Amino acid sequence: MKQAAGPRPWTFYVFASFFALFVLFLYGPMTVIYILSFQGPTGGLTFPMTGFSFLWFHALVTAERVGDIGGSFQRSIVLAVIVAVLTVVLSVAAGLAFRRRFPGSGVVFYLAIASLIMPGLFVGLGIAVGFQLLGLDIDWYTSALGAQLTWTLPYGLLIMFAVLGRFNRAYEEAATDLGATPWQRMREVVLPILLPGIIGVALFGFTLSYDEFPRTVLTAGTRNTLPLEIWAMTTNVTSPALFAVGTVTTIVSFIAIGAGLISIAVIQRRRTRGTGQPM
Amino acid sequence: MPSGTRNGEIRIVGVTKRFGDMAAVSDLSLTIPDKAYCCLLGPSGCGKTTILRMIAGHETPTTGEIRIGGEPVVGLTPVQRGTAMMFQSYALFPHRSVLDNVAFSLKLRGASKAERHRQARELLAKVRMERFADRLPVQLSGGQQQRVALARALITNPRVLLLDEPLSALDEYLRLRMRGELRRVQKELGITFIHVTHTQLEAIAVADLVVVMAQGRIEQAASAREIFTAPRTAYVARFMGGQNVLSGTVESVADEHAIVVDEHGASFSTAVIGEVPVRGSRLVGSVRRDRISVSKAQGCAAASDKVNSLLGEVHAIEYQGSYVKVTIERPTGEGFVANVLDVDFFRGPLDIGDSVLARWSARDVLILEGAADAGEASMDEAGGVLI
Amino acid sequence: MKALPRLASWLQVAPVALILVLFFGLPMLVVVTVSFFDYGQGRLYPTFIFDNYVEIFSSSVTLRLYLSSLKFALIVWAVTLLIGFNIAYFLVFHVRTLLWQIGLFLLCTVPFWTSNIIRMISWIPFLGRNGIFNQTLEGAGITSQPLEFLLFSDFAVIVAYVHLFTLFMVVPIFNSMARIDRSLIEAAYDAGAGPWRIFSEIILPLSKTGIALGSIFVITLVMGDFFVVKTMSGGQSASVVSALSNEISAIQYPPAAANAMILVAIVTLMVSGILRLVDIRKELIA
Repeated sequence: MKQAAGPRPWTFYVFASFFALFVLFLYGPMTVIYILSFQGPTGGLTFPMTGFSFLWFHALVTAERVGDIGGSFQRSIVLAVIVAVLTVVLSVAAGLAFRRRFPGSGVVFYLAIASLIMPGLFVGLGIAVGFQLLGLDIDWYTSALGAQLTWTLPYGLLIMFAVLGRFNRAYEEAATDLGATPWQRMREVVLPILLPGIIGVALFGFTLSYDEFPRTVLTAGTRNTLPLEIWAMTTNVTSPALFAVGTVTTIVSFIAIGAGLISIAVIQRRRTRGTGQPM
Repeated sequence: MPSGTRNGEIRIVGVTKRFGDMAAVSDLSLTIPDKAYCCLLGPSGCGKTTILRMIAGHETPTTGEIRIGGEPVVGLTPVQRGTAMMFQSYALFPHRSVLDNVAFSLKLRGASKAERHRQARELLAKVRMERFADRLPVQLSGGQQQRVALARALITNPRVLLLDEPLSALDEYLRLRMRGELRRVQKELGITFIHVTHTQLEAIAVADLVVVMAQGRIEQAASAREIFTAPRTAYVARFMGGQNVLSGTVESVADEHAIVVDEHGASFSTAVIGEVPVRGSRLVGSVRRDRISVSKAQGCAAASDKVNSLLGEVHAIEYQGSYVKVTIERPTGEGFVANVLDVDFFRGPLDIGDSVLARWSARDVLILEGAADAGEASMDEAGGVLI
Repeated sequence: MKALPRLASWLQVAPVALILVLFFGLPMLVVVTVSFFDYGQGRLYPTFIFDNYVEIFSSSVTLRLYLSSLKFALIVWAVTLLIGFNIAYFLVFHVRTLLWQIGLFLLCTVPFWTSNIIRMISWIPFLGRNGIFNQTLEGAGITSQPLEFLLFSDFAVIVAYVHLFTLFMVVPIFNSMARIDRSLIEAAYDAGAGPWRIFSEIILPLSKTGIALGSIFVITLVMGDFFVVKTMSGGQSASVVSALSNEISAIQYPPAAANAMILVAIVTLMVSGILRLVDIRKELIA
């Protein structure tokens, strides 16, 4: 239907314009709040900008009115790292298991899918009430950690299915042929080849946890994570400080995304245009 | 560690491999002598790759025994077996350079970097790939990847090298060159090679021992020449392609010759060795395509009454260089093919539609085992009449 | 020999299975159980009563909430499907080089990795009474006074949903479409099919699994949401889960749990309806 070269059909321009509008729709509002977070001291929640200042960022650290941003930020980062590590280790292991059909594989698969699409608030409710019934205290590093894993592990599994679907079994057999023990096979062959996908799992684990709200809201206990703190702000903070916290948290997300994507790109590049210095 | 003995003789005894309900290999026995170049030949799904993978240790037989150099190997690792495999996809590790791919098994054994690189370079030189040592697999052509895969398999110093369709990913020109190369390396190293292929020409060109397989069983295991000139079954005769398969009812037996007549009245005679066939029983035979003479049938219908001849119409003429392939159609049944030397053919050229008489001599007729229609279906699938 | 790989599989999958059972399976059983409990003064009384369900089914509010949730789900599903399909189609069939395809795909994906709450509130300066949209309209002379329906309305809720969830349509549809063998399209073209026939006979049927997966994601996300509807409607609209979250805030766990069970039943019904069209296990693991 379409040649590799040659003039574009007119429909291309229709679709391209549509795509451009979609991107504008995705990024436009976000860009606006990043700009508005530098609002002048007398400015409000919308344009015009009355000046340019870092006042609202400063307010995040000083003003008591905006709550415990610093503490919740630290907790969210630590929690996200823990979730990312657990998600990588556990979903890589489980993904490998799913390459064989084994009794119970269907149960685990559908449990994961159900967990993925279950409204997060219900999961949180069940965990919170369950902890209460057992007489346990809920906290961000216990109940909220578990709640977030019910969300990140299914994602990790799905990514591993996609990654392993393209993995050629002959690599493992070749390694065995060449004398590798199962552990050497994993470390020297399977994991390095799967590394880009594994970084993808880590990226999902980190960002999904870092921004998680519905599962965490009932399970974090008295010490909030950052999204819970932001949620509280939406109801009682009407200054551009709200946007400033949005800018800060998005920068953190972008750092994670950038680190993930760049390392994947570097690995892929090395594999296609090797420099003679293998890793 | 590989066993002390370097004996690469392989003995497969009563091996069956089932995947679920399906038997990929059924009660198969085969002996491959030490230092032999053996080809497992057959259409896809005949079980040849399964056998290879069981010898390699990547599959376990459901029942039966496999011995290498006399020792039972089922349950042993490839290294303990002293086997190495070259994969159809080559399976070169994409994240390692050519040199590190070849040196991989030495690294696993704890060899120093200098030592493993020295040995790897030596082997790369053997396959003429030393210039590419620092490249990554994706930067190599198919033929180059194949050489690296060969070097990587050989560095384990195996007594048996297993090759799974090693030439299927190459173009025609490289295929011919590499098959010569494989044969050269095998002679040089003096180890057993087992090579799986579905291409008849490839098998008879390289192998000392050709094993023709169908539906999980061995149809015939013999030298290339014997497989080609003396097929044991109608299946092999058809699959190898150098023969016409004939079948009919025994009409008479005299002078140690049986006369067999088919449903069109054509008849052939054949020397009877051993058991004398009963009159009226079915007999299947074959006659070599290049031992048939074809002439225009000038209205002499009577000629077809003669033994070892048949009448038909020329259906296709294919020029093959040194000979011409003439396909003769009869009212029913499969085409009868005569390979006529080019000088003979052009002495009195034929046209499509000509009525012709094909003749041959009784000493070129072989008696075959098994059902007359064996292999007719797989012929289409393998696409593969060879000559 | 058979038992060994099976044991290995179990060991590899055990941690994930354990976490899913402990933090998903059991909590869901807790919700089921609590939905039959009695409650009062912030305490739970372990009984087995149907009062919570009876109350829900006899309340006039219930139907209104469910209709509201379904309305949002249907509208958002239709809009995200329309947008998602076209975006995926553009990426797969109009973008010619792999590098551009990956780049543009990532451009659509990046917002997914940032905070939903921030993305949602980023519409406030846009849609507000004195927001950018109204300023632009008035500046261009199209309207003389601000449009009131933009923010804190159903409209704002739907805009935010579409903004947050369209990606869940784009990705699965993109995956199915990217797997369509180009030679199928060429073959259809050779057989005389025009663009419309190629679309309806080849592309649409082969994108079915992606559409089904995307629909499951979007519908369950909208049906399960509470914070978008709370914030963006300014408290004027409600959905089942937003009402439920109010009950939770009031520590009325049993009616909330009963409500949750009914919603889960309805969502399960919708999802299994979609699943009849596609075997997702085959789709995801193969």
